[in-house]
Amino acid sequence: MSARSLRDEIQEVAAQYPQSRSAMLPALRLAQEGHGGWLPPEAFREVGEALGLTPAYCKSVASFYDMFHLKPVGRHLVEVCTNVSCALVGAQQVLEGFQRELGVGAGETTEDGEVTLRTIECLGGCGWATIVAIDEHYRTHVSPDDVPGIVQELRRGS
Amino acid sequence: MAAELQKIVLAGADDRDLTRLAEYEAIGGYRALQKARALAPSAVIDELNASELRGRGGAFFATGRKWSFVPKPDQNPNPHYLVVNADESEPGSFKDNEIMARVPHRFLEGCLITAHAVESKSVFIYIRGEYTGPYEVLVAALEELHARPDLRGEVTIVLHRGAGAYICGEETALLESLEGKRGQPRTKPPFPAIQGLYASPTVVNNVETLATVPPIVELGGAEYAKLGVENSRGTRVVSISGHVANGGNYEIPNGMSLRGLIYDLGGGIPNGRELKAVIPGGSSTAILRGDEIDVGYDFDSLLGLNTAMGSAGVVAIDDRCCMVQLGIRVSEFYEHESCGKCTPCREGTRWMTQILRRLEAGEAIQGELDLLLDVCDRINGKCLCPLGETAAVAVASYVDKFRPEFQRHVDEGGCPFGDSSPLDHVMAPVAQHTHSPTATVPA
Amino acid sequence: MSAPGTVKLTIDGVPVEVPKGTGLVEAAMAGGIEIPVFCYEPRLGAPVGACRMCLCEIEGGPPKPQAACTLTAQDGMVVKTAATSAQAAEAQNATLEFILVNHPLDCPVCDKGGECPLQDLTFRYGPGSTRMTFQKRTFDKPIPISPLIALDRERCILCYRCTRFSEGVAEDGQLVAENRGSQTTIATFEDEPYRAPFSGNVIELCPVGALTSTKYRFEARPWEIQDVPTVCGMCPVGCNIHATTREGKVKRILSRNHHEVDRGWLCDKGRFAYSHVNAGDRLTDPLLRVRRHGFEEVSWDDALDAAERMLREAEGRIVTALSGSETVEQAYALAKLLRTGLGSHAAVMPEESSDALDSFRLPLSAIETADVVVVLGDVPVVERAPIVELWIKEARRNGARVLHELDENAVRQARSAILIWSGPDGQGGARVAALAQRLGAAGAFHLPETANGRGVADAWAAAADEEPANPDPIALLIVSGDEAAANPDVRALAERAERVIAISMFQGLAAGWADLVLPGTSYLERDGTYVNLEGRIQRLRRTTIPPAPDELAWISKLAERFGVDLSPHAAAVFAEVSEIAFGGMPFGEIGERAALPGATDAPASFETGPAPERPATGLRLIRYRPLFSGPAVERIPELQFQRPHAEVDLSMEDAASRGIASGDEVTVRSNGTSISLRARLARDLQPGVVRIPDEHAGELRSLVEVAR
Ligand SMILES: Cc1cc2nc3c(=O)[nH]c(=O)nc-3n(C[C@H](O)[C@H](O)[C@H](O)COP(=O)(O)O)c2cc1C
Ligand code: SF4
Ligand code: FES
Repeated sequence: MSARSLRDEIQEVAAQYPQSRSAMLPALRLAQEGHGGWLPPEAFREVGEALGLTPAYCKSVASFYDMFHLKPVGRHLVEVCTNVSCALVGAQQVLEGFQRELGVGAGETTEDGEVTLRTIECLGGCGWATIVAIDEHYRTHVSPDDVPGIVQELRRGS
Repeated sequence: MAAELQKIVLAGADDRDLTRLAEYEAIGGYRALQKARALAPSAVIDELNASELRGRGGAFFATGRKWSFVPKPDQNPNPHYLVVNADESEPGSFKDNEIMARVPHRFLEGCLITAHAVESKSVFIYIRGEYTGPYEVLVAALEELHARPDLRGEVTIVLHRGAGAYICGEETALLESLEGKRGQPRTKPPFPAIQGLYASPTVVNNVETLATVPPIVELGGAEYAKLGVENSRGTRVVSISGHVANGGNYEIPNGMSLRGLIYDLGGGIPNGRELKAVIPGGSSTAILRGDEIDVGYDFDSLLGLNTAMGSAGVVAIDDRCCMVQLGIRVSEFYEHESCGKCTPCREGTRWMTQILRRLEAGEAIQGELDLLLDVCDRINGKCLCPLGETAAVAVASYVDKFRPEFQRHVDEGGCPFGDSSPLDHVMAPVAQHTHSPTATVPA
Repeated sequence: MSAPGTVKLTIDGVPVEVPKGTGLVEAAMAGGIEIPVFCYEPRLGAPVGACRMCLCEIEGGPPKPQAACTLTAQDGMVVKTAATSAQAAEAQNATLEFILVNHPLDCPVCDKGGECPLQDLTFRYGPGSTRMTFQKRTFDKPIPISPLIALDRERCILCYRCTRFSEGVAEDGQLVAENRGSQTTIATFEDEPYRAPFSGNVIELCPVGALTSTKYRFEARPWEIQDVPTVCGMCPVGCNIHATTREGKVKRILSRNHHEVDRGWLCDKGRFAYSHVNAGDRLTDPLLRVRRHGFEEVSWDDALDAAERMLREAEGRIVTALSGSETVEQAYALAKLLRTGLGSHAAVMPEESSDALDSFRLPLSAIETADVVVVLGDVPVVERAPIVELWIKEARRNGARVLHELDENAVRQARSAILIWSGPDGQGGARVAALAQRLGAAGAFHLPETANGRGVADAWAAAADEEPANPDPIALLIVSGDEAAANPDVRALAERAERVIAISMFQGLAAGWADLVLPGTSYLERDGTYVNLEGRIQRLRRTTIPPAPDELAWISKLAERFGVDLSPHAAAVFAEVSEIAFGGMPFGEIGERAALPGATDAPASFETGPAPERPATGLRLIRYRPLFSGPAVERIPELQFQRPHAEVDLSMEDAASRGIASGDEVTVRSNGTSISLRARLARDLQPGVVRIPDEHAGELRSLVEVAR
């Protein structure tokens, strides 16, 4: 995505708010989508330029939130909830399943740059544990046995 | 009291697809809005006062009273805002998720009625960034609403997605975040009703609170107040999770017994295990022992046991589970989610985690068990917002209720559960915090 | 009951009465009671209540201790600090324990040690020992956030003072907090340097040793130093400063809050350029031209003989070029010698202000409460009088309209309008004064180019009132100070003059073309007075011994030889000038924080020449002397990164009409020469005007064209 069109998109979103700074989170989200799932330094320059703020400010905000990635990530994002309710019914085993299948640890990306695996705090699906977010879409009642299938799907899908 | 559902917020959702405007209208949807608009704003507030509705977000503040704090337009010419707290992130709670996903129009109708009551033309729904499903449902619902000026009136509703920060559920942090800043709580006073979004009068309400408004207007406040018990009127959508057979959301009249919730609705503890402990209102609330569940699930009854309904997230924990490990996991969560603004929370939660890890490893000396309680005690009552305080209260309650188990970790120089506890060595995000600039991961 | 407009409360049993709206911390102070704070700093805007150091017990209030810094004094309030409340004492002790849990406690090697609020408050309120037995949070020790400032993230207690200054006072948005919770750190963007004119203030704001000056690092311990109160001589604002000296050498500059002038802020030039006094090429002995191209160091006696000879041989055909950096006393001494002694009245004066301004005189702090501020003259305020820029920003934050083009109605309708001239054209001062009178503005300021231009003009005038007759040919040109020496017009005169005497701090500046060079001194080395842009007479104190006798000393000796009676002491000379120019105010009454003389009655009317009109074709070039330039700055390696980039400022309109975007490479032409610079769009610029820092404007004339 070229910086110009990103700029226009951001300013479009900003128009919804009484103060354009309110568009910061949506703007960073757009920039992240435009930069392959993470926010490189130029992304902050672009967002800052579009909202009339400094890149330092934009990064300061982005680094506060877990859904913004300040380092490169894989094409797919696998996030396993390991908070209490999921952990009680075996989230750790699900996580280990993904680690085995993908051959990476939590917080790492597969060599081929396809998948980033990480744990995440309560996703708000505790009653349907274990919750795994695949590219920000929830899978409920995930058990270790489901993991190979999910990974295959991802690999096939890409 | 036998466990029975009482559907008011989720009413009708089992038989029809209420995500569709037509379906919702077919069961009388948006009639409460017409009724409310026919009333003066103050009259709507009177209905809410009569209903005795208290906020469902956790702070349990009387909704009608909160609305009445908002200055009238002639007292403060600034635009008034309604900001919806749809950031549901409390571990154990997932009710707003289901409400938005299944009865979006009832929720939106509640927003429009509230906007009328507080004379606001501008509504912002701050929905947690991870809730992609409910977000997509709301986008569709808003499109339908957009095509219906007769319902929308002059009110604009903006969906604003969060980006992963539990603290943004705290209303002032939410407002900061909505203003495009780091989500750090503000000092109160001034309260949002006086100086909220863009320093203008602002009402912040929870999703369930707002979804309860149409039924209240429909039934009439007094009628609604007949449900539930003293101080906890009406129904509550309770999230049940953990070691239960049928986890999920259940809408019940306030005051139903906690045992009924877990055994009748939740289907009891699977695999013939014993119920060891219950987190009654989300991880921010003090824990109960398994033998303390013959209590009404309502504000006063739980207060009697020094705990709270919080955001109605009931987590059942069976006898395989190590309470020190629970402490670590919960403490790690608050350490990770602390905004870093005030000292006791930022430093205290990290210290708590460190001590708990040492206890679990069996390397702690007696003094450190007392130190843990002392640290909790020193966090409690000193923080800028309740996050740090609840972390301290929760962890302290584990020690308080399960002291012998903590003691064994010291005496036996290790975890009595070996690695049989489901919470053994759970990998928490804080241990691989992606943004962390530190060379060392928290020890 | 308390008097109207005030509230009565009780703090630790002490009854206190303070004005309504007084913060609890200040209220306690009024009662002589300390409420300890870290994050609280009223100059940074609304309190944030972050550090929790100020927790106190409020009787009848909530059961928990309250952050006093976020509360205002209320009638009947009963407050208990750690001194009388176990709850407050426990709370403050707890806060300190938490702050110290991850603090390295490396006080022995910390520059802040001995003058550190964290040390002091721990001593008074903190735990005596640590219960922290885990590995502390560690970061790489200290990282430079600029050549001037080092950041030690382990020492940081996250009070957010520095970031609030950057965002809310200087508005440069460069120093920020990154990450969340216990991982939070202070940072600049991608480790780019904190490059902003006021960056150094964060060093003084930091309550611990996290932000320290690279120039002061390991230079001194607090018990070895002395702070000398004086004023900054780097620009016409005249910020009040402390010069910290150790063994007679200046080691750092700190602010000395004058709430009407500087509110305790300093620009980085005033704060960091002090070491020019130790520059390697500092002149310490007089230089006399012996052969056509040769100079040799001579004794002061020989130098004064030579000076006397030149002055006599000139037979009055003398021109004196003044810098505007002389003290009032120096300027008067020269004037008395040359005008009364030798009847030589011709002078090249520093950029003039206007006495008419005195009728619209206000303290700079009045800008803060103005509702309309008009800035004219096309040179960025920050380049001429940096602190004024901060006052204007404060005004804007308080809701004032800040205009860069005159809107007469806005000024007429304003509750309190302030006009500011920032730019070339000697008549600027008179111009804004005339406007203020015609439009009924509350105040008018002229931002002159030099630190003491007004004082020097007053002093020169005080010595005599004969009209100068411009001598031709010029027998002797006296160049007083490095600014004059650097002035092209003065250089031109030097070409025509038969002989030149130059007073200069540094080699090379005048040595090339003068016949006699006498070592000059710095404002840090002088006793005397400066008159700032408000018209405030402020006291300069000698903070360090100059390497050569100061001007006043040898001018008085020289004067003796011409039978002119002149004291070598600033106090005596000032008394003489004061009689004539300052209503006889005694030297001793100036005080450490000088008061501003009241405004004079408005003059009947006074005319000003026509304002420079915009060229029909092409663009009018404004060359300006950037804040970070000049002989002192050039000699400070750590300040070089602050020097201006090779950029040309364009108005939005001119840029648009030429299809130029910010950051584009453009060529600037004026008949003959052409220079390529990077374009920068400036909201404050009028169409038809472009702006280039002197050092990048080369030979460009006043009429230019710009193209991509
Ligand atoms: C740390 C913290 C997290 C919170 N998270 C939420 C949340 O996710 N959703 C919510 O509705 N309220 C949350 N709250 C409560 C809000 O601050 C606020 O009281 C509530 O949104 C008011 O709405 P209500 O009166 O309708 O309950 C949280 C409070 C704290 C201190
Ligand atoms: S660096 Fe100093 S001023 Fe900045 S937050 Fe840390 S302690 Fe406060
Ligand atoms: S001084 Fe009050 S919280 Fe920091």
